[in-house]
Amino acid sequence: MKQLFYLCIAVMLLTTLNSCVAVKEYDKIDLNDPDMSLSARSINHFETSFQVYREGASGANGGKSGGGCGCN
Amino acid sequence: MKNISFLIIILISVYGYSQTSNEYQKKVLENTEVDLISSLYGQKGDNAAVTGGIGSEKLSDIASNIIVSIPLNNNDVFSINTTISAYTSASSSNLNPFDYKTNSFNTSNKNISKNSAENKGGWNANSGASQSITNNPLVNRGPTPWLESTGASRSDIWVNGTFDYSHSSKSRNTIVGGNISASHEFDYYSFGFGGKLAKLFNQKNTEIDLKGNVYLDTWNPRYPTEIHSYIVANEDLNSGFFRGVTIYDQNRLVMDKNSPDAWKPINTTLVTDKKRNSYSASLSFSQIISKKAQLSLFLDVVQQKGWLSNPMQRVYFGDRPNFYIGNASSIDNYTSKSNTDVFQLADDIERLPHTRLKVPFGARFNYFINEKLVLRTYYRYYSDDWGINSHTASIELPFKISDNFTLYPSYRFYTQTAAKYFAPYEQHLSTEKFYTSDYDLSKYNASQIGFGITYTDIFTERKIWKLGLKTIDLKYSNYHRNTGLSAGIVSLGFKFVMN
Repeated sequence: MKQLFYLCIAVMLLTTLNSCVAVKEYDKIDLNDPDMSLSARSINHFETSFQVYREGASGANGGKSGGGCGCN
Repeated sequence: MKNISFLIIILISVYGYSQTSNEYQKKVLENTEVDLISSLYGQKGDNAAVTGGIGSEKLSDIASNIIVSIPLNNNDVFSINTTISAYTSASSSNLNPFDYKTNSFNTSNKNISKNSAENKGGWNANSGASQSITNNPLVNRGPTPWLESTGASRSDIWVNGTFDYSHSSKSRNTIVGGNISASHEFDYYSFGFGGKLAKLFNQKNTEIDLKGNVYLDTWNPRYPTEIHSYIVANEDLNSGFFRGVTIYDQNRLVMDKNSPDAWKPINTTLVTDKKRNSYSASLSFSQIISKKAQLSLFLDVVQQKGWLSNPMQRVYFGDRPNFYIGNASSIDNYTSKSNTDVFQLADDIERLPHTRLKVPFGARFNYFINEKLVLRTYYRYYSDDWGINSHTASIELPFKISDNFTLYPSYRFYTQTAAKYFAPYEQHLSTEKFYTSDYDLSKYNASQIGFGITYTDIFTERKIWKLGLKTIDLKYSNYHRNTGLSAGIVSLGFKFVMN
């Protein structure tokens, strides 16, 4: 039920945000700053690996979401 | 003359048109890029899963990752991603806690072997319970969950290779790709493949990504020594590994090996299905909100099937009698770190369902505050059908201290509920169908504080061979759980661009 609730929020956001005014390419200078990237930093590669091993939860971070045993 | 002028104008026009139609198109990736990341990880804790939820979790890992991204043409990029990771683990080492090195035993018992290769707990049938004790663990060293043993499972190397290909359309509004991967460690092999599709629209203000991945994994199972040896010895405690080894009960009395009440694991059927497959589908949506803000939403659905428990991990039941090998006088002290010479025989290995459905949902929101400061945030909600629900939230504040250097402090909070199959040491009942004492599946909170610094040279003026140095990244993070586990990781990364 909770998952459904979160999915509903996601769909609402999807439909709402898509109607935002489009930012032109020449106005994206701040958005193109490397720190604005919508992904985890590459330096976090091994940090994410140990979190996946040590924690019950994984995924939804744009990275690997399966495979490997996480045995140690 | 007029005709010639007209002809020249026509030719110039055609040339101009041809220049327009062959308009220069920027490559998806201008030059080959090489990313190197190395890390050093260390952890300590007192809830080792291999020894049933108590014992040393000391672990160290050194790892390196290299990603080489090669532009094949204007639209296609091929990348090779390789990782090697070498670890030593006290917990894994105690798959066989009876394999340890000791220089001397402070005892008059002549039957105690000084050769680690012959050790079977160090104590044989004649050693009795009246072993003399000193406070020096090197002297009293015996089988224990609190110290690292010297067996083969003490260390291992994990290697992984991934090949990735992606193609962008000329409009750059569509990206398709695929990947293939393989990884190996001593008890596990993984093979994976996947594909992705990304569509950009709304003047590249909106992006939707679809990804699918399959991992076909195989166990090469290793079991706790006493359970495996019991099966190899045809369940005879007078032969094989157990020959000449004294087993004690909870009252420190020598167990009668021929009694029907003698120690035996609850289930001698171990891994029946060596496969563990994962199927994942990911949907992500990215949206530019303003000139300074953008947002991303992620939804994954992961289905796992096969042998999802770890055959190395012991479980002890509260409703079964306890039996030990080692120094009987240390039995009452078994759960204390001061126990250096007695080990409890397992009741079973961890047993978990053969399926697991995971549904994580996450969001990122980044805001460009000003030329100096950026706000990066992340949130994830996770739920699975083993009963784990978790929340993850993190915040990072990159701060530019100069044109070349950026500092980025970060904080991450994580909380999860326990899997319904988890119980601590000696708290499971033998009537249960599924059980684990792995604290990674317990209820806990964890916080992580990180601090990083990045050096950026967009002109790549410093060179090594043909590679221009673009960035250097150094980060340290400290992780602490309220169950007692703590960890630290240092990562160092370099990005080179081939000129």
